[in-house]
Amino acid sequence: MLKKARITVAFLISTQLVGCVNLGVQPWERDLLAKEEMALDSEGNDLGLDDHIYFSKEATSGGRAFAGGGCGCN
Amino acid sequence: MKKKLNISAALASATCALLHPYASANEMLEGWKIDTSLMYYGETDRVSAVEAVIAGQKDFGEEQLLSGKIVIDTLTGASATGAVAQLTAQTVSRPSGEGTYTVSPGETPLDDTFKDTRVQLDGQWTQPWSDVSRITTGLHLSTEHDYYSLGFNGSYAHDFYNKNTTLSAGLAYSYDVIKPEGGLPVPFATKTASINTSEDYDDNEDDESEDDDDDNDNYDNDERLGSSDNKSTVDVLFGLTQVMNRRMLMQFNLGFSEISGYSTDPYKVLSIVNEQGLTQSLVYENRPDSRTKTFAFWQTKYALDFGVVDFSYRFATDDWKVDSHTFDSRLRINLTDSSYLQPHFRYYNQSAAEFFHPFLMEGQVLPEFATADYRLGEMSAYTFGLKYGTKMDNGDELSFRLEYYQQSPKNAGFTEPGTLQDVDLYPSVKAVIAQVNYRF
Amino acid sequence: MTNSAKQTAFVIEQKSDHMMGRFSAMASPCELLMETQDPLLANYLTSLAYKETKRIEQKFSRYLPNNPMAKINHSMGQAVVIDAEIFRLLEFANSCFELSDGMFDMTSGVLRQAWKFDGSDNLPTPKAVQALMPYIGWQKVKYDQSSITLIKGMELDFGGIGKEYAVDCVANMCTEYAPKTSVVVNFGGDIQVTRARHNSQPWYIGIESPEDDDKNTTHTLKIVSGGLATSGDARRYLLKDGKRYSHILNPETGYPIENAARSVTVAAPHCIQAGLLATMALLKGPNADVFLEHQDVKFWCYR
Repeated sequence: MLKKARITVAFLISTQLVGCVNLGVQPWERDLLAKEEMALDSEGNDLGLDDHIYFSKEATSGGRAFAGGGCGCN
Repeated sequence: MKKKLNISAALASATCALLHPYASANEMLEGWKIDTSLMYYGETDRVSAVEAVIAGQKDFGEEQLLSGKIVIDTLTGASATGAVAQLTAQTVSRPSGEGTYTVSPGETPLDDTFKDTRVQLDGQWTQPWSDVSRITTGLHLSTEHDYYSLGFNGSYAHDFYNKNTTLSAGLAYSYDVIKPEGGLPVPFATKTASINTSEDYDDNEDDESEDDDDDNDNYDNDERLGSSDNKSTVDVLFGLTQVMNRRMLMQFNLGFSEISGYSTDPYKVLSIVNEQGLTQSLVYENRPDSRTKTFAFWQTKYALDFGVVDFSYRFATDDWKVDSHTFDSRLRINLTDSSYLQPHFRYYNQSAAEFFHPFLMEGQVLPEFATADYRLGEMSAYTFGLKYGTKMDNGDELSFRLEYYQQSPKNAGFTEPGTLQDVDLYPSVKAVIAQVNYRF
Repeated sequence: MTNSAKQTAFVIEQKSDHMMGRFSAMASPCELLMETQDPLLANYLTSLAYKETKRIEQKFSRYLPNNPMAKINHSMGQAVVIDAEIFRLLEFANSCFELSDGMFDMTSGVLRQAWKFDGSDNLPTPKAVQALMPYIGWQKVKYDQSSITLIKGMELDFGGIGKEYAVDCVANMCTEYAPKTSVVVNFGGDIQVTRARHNSQPWYIGIESPEDDDKNTTHTLKIVSGGLATSGDARRYLLKDGKRYSHILNPETGYPIENAARSVTVAAPHCIQAGLLATMALLKGPNADVFLEHQDVKFWCYR
């Protein structure tokens, strides 16, 4: 319970940090961020395949996406 | 009249080709981006799997996106049953009840009847809700011979500060049906009286041909709870993506899951051993029928001059008392404008579930829940990998990935009685992953 | 993006509800109207526009000695290597050639050696015109994705579409770097608006139109989005015996199109599309209006 509270607080604090004016870029500063390899899903199928392997062989799932995945692997 | 109008249309099309040259020439797949993969996963002496994925995405303009994925995987080989190794040979029956197999002395009992083919379908549609927000809905379907899963998900994402910040919230529901071979076992029912053929052990490991008629003798004699059961999962996910500066992007996710229903693995057993460490019987495991999980995930991507650094950390905890930490990192090194090398390193560790027991002691009261499945025990795991990718003249990308994955289960503080001290109760699992991708 | 020393290449002005960037290129006054009050953004977009326009100007100009155009036009019948952009423009010119039944022909530029449209009455001799005819004919051009071969003496002239192409390229750039900002690219009447303004208000743009040979009246044009181009002969014509010879030449005869409109303005989704339709209308001579009516586009024809 305490652990859950700690995680939630950390998350809320980090969302407050977002309000800082220093973060972020102007539209014309997106040259590097626009590169294909900087996209969060640039690895394509690799991440999904890895998630499936680790979901089957370990006790944890989720992270980038929903934890539930629905297969009989675990 | 028609010819005249065609000039305008033809000119429009010629203009498009001039100003937007990267539109796909192939009419059929116009606008579809397809990513295909073929992966081989092989553990030494245990499970191997081959998995094929075809994922497609089409942009319908105005930020409407359709994406779909088909996955087919086949599993063969043997996986650990949860029973402990012994200094003598053991004879164990298969889950379907069709025959028995013999386990060599000192070896971890593995069950090799897991030949299965699974098909999975995913679909997802994204629709803008306003200038700065969008809604995504998705469907998930998975079927194999003893397990079916159907799921729905929906999420909402909102951009702030010129798309520098994006907040999202999502909900998913999944309904799974499990229909194990041989039906659902009664928890802690005896699977089979353990037969230690110590004196006359020979190299004949496979008794299949002899024992078909002996079904009734060696097969577990317990009744079954039924042929199938189900499980529901509800997931909630909150996400925050933040552009930090011109080179760096971060993502934070917070997730909660509530699982209720049949969570036991109907094929796994525990060994009941006496004080000398000799297995007296094998009993079916039992897991609680609910599980509440939480995870926090943080990822950062940093653009270097020669590539990208990608680092993520995930912390997860649940009411089965499994806590885990995952560190995952990738370093993309651009060799040329169109090729790259990407080493990958992942470290994972988890604590044992509170009802994890590597074995049970004879004579002691049976706990309410118990499992000897090493995947719920204490363990750490490493992955080392290398990926090479190259972009071809027509824009298609080909890439290869080779990885080594090693799991090291650990003793979570159980004292091993008698001869169990002389066998390896926590063998490492080593696997190789080889994959080829083609994207067009 | 580095700050070069030649910052006076373009000028930024702040207006009541938008910002304007101005520079000179392609023998035209070029302006960028941007719906923003942010001088940094205005400066950045104008700088990009200036660099891109200069790049296109230098690549396709007939007057520079060593650019890709010079290499093609002085190739003496040899194959010349081309890049993807040139190939795309050749493909586009090819489509226009076919759609105009051969009237739009990028090889007809050599006729300027005979015709000088300076408002005088100096018509070329038929012999001078005939001498150039062997060097005209798009069907004689051989090209593929990597190279182009012209007969010795032939020349390519991108002048007819160069400005509109630059307008569309600059508009594409503005859309890429400032996708939420409405920008008007206006190169001497060839216009492209990247996206509608907030609340879909129109832009009001002053356009010169040829009312008289010496004077030019400014009309105010109201445009919400899309492209606009004008083809006309405001100052380029010859006048002899009361007959006006426009500078729109028929590549099959070598002589000006008869009874061409003085000026045609067309509105279409893209500037280059509008420009081509306007040029094709002029090439239809007396049938300009009928042609444009059938194209289902907005247009204005002045005779």
